[in-house]
Order: sequence, then structure tokens, then C-alpha cells
Amino acid sequence: MATEGFVDDENLEAIVTRIEQKSRKIESLLKQSKPVEALKTALEGSPLKTRDERCKSAIWIVVHRAIMAIKDVDAMFSSLDPEYYDTLMKYLYRGLATGDRPTCDQCLKIHEKLTEKAGLGCILRSLADTVNTV
Amino acid sequence: MAAVAIHQFAQCITCHAWSPDQSMVAFCPNNHEVHIYKLFGEKWERVHVLQKHDQIVSGIDWSVRSNKIVTVSHDRNSYVWNQEASEWVPTLVILRLNRAALCVQWCPKENKFAVGSGAKTVCICYYEKENNWWVSKLIRKKHNSSVTSVAWHPNNILLATTSTDGKCRVFSTFIKGVDSRESGASSSSNLKFGEQIAQLDLSFTWAFGVRWSPSGNTLAYAGHNSMIYFIEDVGSSPSAQNVALRDLPLRDILFVSEKLVIGVGFDCNPMVFTADETGLWSFVKFLDEKKIAPSSSKYGSQFSEAFGKLYGQSKPAINSDTVESSRPRGGAHENCISCIVPLRKPGDTIVRRFSTSGLDGKVVIWELDGHH
Repeated sequence: MATEGFVDDENLEAIVTRIEQKSRKIESLLKQSKPVEALKTALEGSPLKTRDERCKSAIWIVVHRAIMAIKDVDAMFSSLDPEYYDTLMKYLYRGLATGDRPTCDQCLKIHEKLTEKAGLGCILRSLADTVNTV
Repeated sequence: MAAVAIHQFAQCITCHAWSPDQSMVAFCPNNHEVHIYKLFGEKWERVHVLQKHDQIVSGIDWSVRSNKIVTVSHDRNSYVWNQEASEWVPTLVILRLNRAALCVQWCPKENKFAVGSGAKTVCICYYEKENNWWVSKLIRKKHNSSVTSVAWHPNNILLATTSTDGKCRVFSTFIKGVDSRESGASSSSNLKFGEQIAQLDLSFTWAFGVRWSPSGNTLAYAGHNSMIYFIEDVGSSPSAQNVALRDLPLRDILFVSEKLVIGVGFDCNPMVFTADETGLWSFVKFLDEKKIAPSSSKYGSQFSEAFGKLYGQSKPAINSDTVESSRPRGGAHENCISCIVPLRKPGDTIVRRFSTSGLDGKVVIWELDGHH
């Protein structure tokens, strides 16, 4: 029952490489008009087991790109696995924290539907977890 | 299946406990007193007021066989009350705490009780006949924050605790002269007092309401992140299940049987959890059938106004389903349920009735029907 170990600095290189790979995959999925696939790819493997803020920011940029590309929120939920709900909620709050109008508009739109689907418990988990932050 | 009795005793209740024959209930009405009410026919009447504490009484437990009430308070003290004729006589227990006491529970044999405190310690108190007083032994190590809840294992030695540092721990409380070294104890090599048997690091947030199953095989506790954790075989090879709740967090739980758990908390409605044949736990339903009418907001009257304002920022039209947040939810409890207590008939292995008390000042008695 020990806490899962966080990645140390030597493995940051590996994380950065993974993020770059993800970014390329997401760009290609968006070009093929598959925004939901892109979002799934972005959310996979998050939250990262690292405390390094630069890695988190790098992943956020990639997730943000995928979130902003979503046009049909209902269609997104019909193909997004519930295991991603808690992570998505954390990223929505990160988006809302930016204060940027288009980002907040999009995040609020998704937040409304996500709360309907996942319930208040999802919000609680994103707020209460101060260890696995995005 | 719903509530069989609802009593409004005060504006707010912190904790409650029943007398051995369940004719009287003792509770703290969010002040320094403990009120004891007795049911005369259909009416509840106050028969005793226990006034000794200086601050809020945070925990009450009433022992079934020895008929003793133990109370703990934010004033860092504990009293054991004995009934002599028609009076309750207090005996001070010097806990040696420098912070508030938060919870208390008699052990199954009723020769010890455990107190969790804000001083990051657990006090195990036992009676010393020679000096006619209660002695407190402290478990000082391991906890990094307030101990919110304590639970005794059926073997009278192991104690589980939850803390606001997010962890659930199991300790041995073996005291020489009070406990006997039985071969039944599973971890007989760790019988030293204060020895930590296990530490469960499942929740990243505050943990509350730890309880053992009747056999002691399963341990369950609630996390403030709207999760409930079930752990099997704590002593040997712990295996945990994390059940995510859809709604608000729980504050206290109760094992009705090996496979049925009731959780209570901020949803103001008891939640039922069961384990199937493979041992997989899941949420079944809310106990209280009275739900909000479907025409009102999707999120429940408490939050709809807030959500309406939040989503109204991005949309030009305000959500037309907004209702006032002060409308009562239509269930037995109107505010957070903070305490759940079993009402066992002597000889029953399964709990069929239990009571809940909450911040709305009500004590509600629930009965489970046959098919559970």
C-alpha cells in the first residue's frame, strides 16, 4: 500500500520525448477530424507521476489543444471512457484558471456536461487530490 | 425501505448513542452538554442533562453490557459516567491531550476505550482497580494530523484509525494486565502496545469513518474525495478496492453484515454498498426514497443556483431550471448526516435497524427489510 513513486529527474528526458510524440499524434488526429480520439490520446497517462511543473505545462498545452478542438460535446461523451472523467475534470479546472475567454467558454461548456455525467463526486476528486495535480 | 422514525431533538447534533435496551438516547446538541431523552409511549422526554464538559462534546459511546457512558470533548477531557440510582455520576479521565478529543469508542469487551484527538495521538484508556481510576496510554507515533475516527477489531486488541493526513492505520493496543495473550490473534508477534500493524495510503485527502466488518476480515473507510475504500486481509496481504462515489463525500459508515455497508454523509441520504459473490463492492442505491421532484434542477436544489450562475457566464440565456437553494431536499435529513449507530437486538449477528444523526438536529431510525 505504499505511495506510488514519483519519477525522478533523469527520467524527465523520457517524459519530454513522450509528450512530443503525443503532440505529433494529436496534430495528425485533428487533421483527420478526430477530435475525440485526440482528446483520449492527450488524457492517456495523465496525471503524470512527476512534480516537475514544466512537464505538466507541456502536457497541458497538448490537452488544451485537444479540448479546444472539440465541437460536439455530447458526441465526445458517448465515446469517452468513464475512467478519463476525473482526469478531464482536473484539466477543465486548469483551463478555467487561465482566465482566457475562449478557453473558459469551452471548459465551462464541457464542465456542465461532465458534471451531469459524472456527478459532484468527480468535482470533489479533482479538488481534493492535491498530490496528483495537472 | 425508508425511515421508520424521525425525531427533531435540537438545532444541530454532533453525535449520539443509545442505551443498552434502546429506550434512551444520549446526544450532544452542539454545546457542552449531553442530553438523554427517554421514550414514554409516543413522546420523547428529557430525563438527564450531563453537564461537565466546557466545550462541544464530540464523541459519546454507551456500553451495552456495563451500561457506562463515555464522553469526549474539545476541552481535551473525557468522562466516564456511571448510573447510580437516578443520577449519572462522572469520573474524569485524564487523557493528557493538548488538543481537542474528536471521537471515542468502547472496545468489544468494554474494558478499554479509544479516543482520537487533534493532537495527532490516540488515547487507549483502561480501568485500574487498585486506584479506582481510568488510566490513559497514548499512541503518539505515526499520525501526521488529527485522528478523526477509531474502530475496534472484534479481537479487542487491534484498533484502526483514520486521520486528516489521509491514511488509515491499524495498531495493536495490547496492555499487560488488561488483555490476555490469546492464540486467536492473527498477528501475535506484534502484540506490543502502539505497534503499527498496517498503514493504508489510498486516499490523498482526509479520511473519516473507519469500521471493521463483523468478522474483522474487512476494513472500510471513507475519503473526503468522494471515495470509499474496502480492504480485505489487512494483517497478511491487504487487497483494496476503491469505490468512487457519484456525489458528495461520506462522514461515517456502518457494516450491517459482512457484505452490506451503509455510508452517510453530505448527501443527507444513507447510501447502500454491497459486495457480490466475487467480493467486488459497489454502490447499490440511496436508502431514502423521497427524492427531489424531476421538474427541478438536475444537480439538486443545493447547487442548482450556483451552477446556473456559473454556466450563465458562458451562455447568453440563464438556465431556466434554476430553483432557490433554500428549498428542503424532501428526505428524512435536511443537512449533513455525521453519525450512524447500529441498533442491535441481543443475539442478532446482522444489524436490522440503525439510527443516524446530523447537523439538522434530527435522529432518524431506519429499518432494513427482508431482502437485504
